[in-house]
Amino acid sequence: MLLPLFEWLDGLRVGDWISTSSYAAPLINVMHIMALVILFGSLLIVDVRLLGRGMTQQPVARVARDARPWLIGALICMLLTGIPQVLSLPIREYYSPFFWMKMRLLLVTLIFTFTLRHKVTMADEARVGPIWGKVVGLVSIGLWTWIAVEGRLIGLLS
Amino acid sequence: MSLRSWFEWVDAFPSSIAMREHLYAFPVLLTIHLISLAMFAGLVVMMDLRLLGVAYRGTPFSEVQARLFPWQMVGMVVTFLAGLLLFYAQPMRYFGKVLYWIKMALIVLAGVNALLFHLTTYRSVAKWHTASPPLRAKVAGVLSLAMWACIVAFGRLTAYDWLTFE
Repeated sequence: MLLPLFEWLDGLRVGDWISTSSYAAPLINVMHIMALVILFGSLLIVDVRLLGRGMTQQPVARVARDARPWLIGALICMLLTGIPQVLSLPIREYYSPFFWMKMRLLLVTLIFTFTLRHKVTMADEARVGPIWGKVVGLVSIGLWTWIAVEGRLIGLLS
Repeated sequence: MSLRSWFEWVDAFPSSIAMREHLYAFPVLLTIHLISLAMFAGLVVMMDLRLLGVAYRGTPFSEVQARLFPWQMVGMVVTFLAGLLLFYAQPMRYFGKVLYWIKMALIVLAGVNALLFHLTTYRSVAKWHTASPPLRAKVAGVLSLAMWACIVAFGRLTAYDWLTFE
């Protein structure tokens, strides 16, 4: 269904400067990974706290509020370095099952992160109870790890 | 024995050859290496940002350091083991790569930086952990961030032929 879109993207040749340069693709990929490191750090510091470990002397809400600018900043960097990588090889991405799985998971995970996870981290801990925090922390770690696995496999197995 | 012959010796191990020829060993190990690295280095970066006083300012540095340390160590051990196996499977692939050797040197230097910080500046943490850290602490934080950024970058770039001599 989306093949015409990806063929159109391929025809635009905006990604040509990346695929024809021997430096652009590696450097964009390096920046994508650096953003991933910051993303995982800002997620884990909160998720570990949700599991009842890590910085337990601080309320979950404080850790989450402090981590949020780094989380959002890292997500923007991921997007800015991810889009050119798709544009440089649209047809490879279209035929990669890992790419589509990553995109589906990303959609679900972003919604989860900015709705349910946000709500649980900001809520009164005594009211929410420890179980919800643990569930949300584990689901968050699981989903983001899965996205990273799919992302890595686009390059390795497509 | 020269360094090169050590690498060649490992390269000829039947288990090394078997891993090299296995269809999924490389992608699986590399994926584990990357994700455990993102977790480990991510938590190191969060700690360094607190050390520089730009994040988690409401939390004493000593708490950030002590409570993240076990998680950083778990991530580091997994990253190290996956990395060791990646190396074991293809020692000669990495032998001729300048970026690989710089990466290894930087890992050692990042460890020395962390250790020196812990043995010197960190001893007086009670005096500054809720306030702005002293300059020496900030220098250690900047060095750590810069070295880990280079380690991540050079690790990724060993996939290419940059500065490869054989």
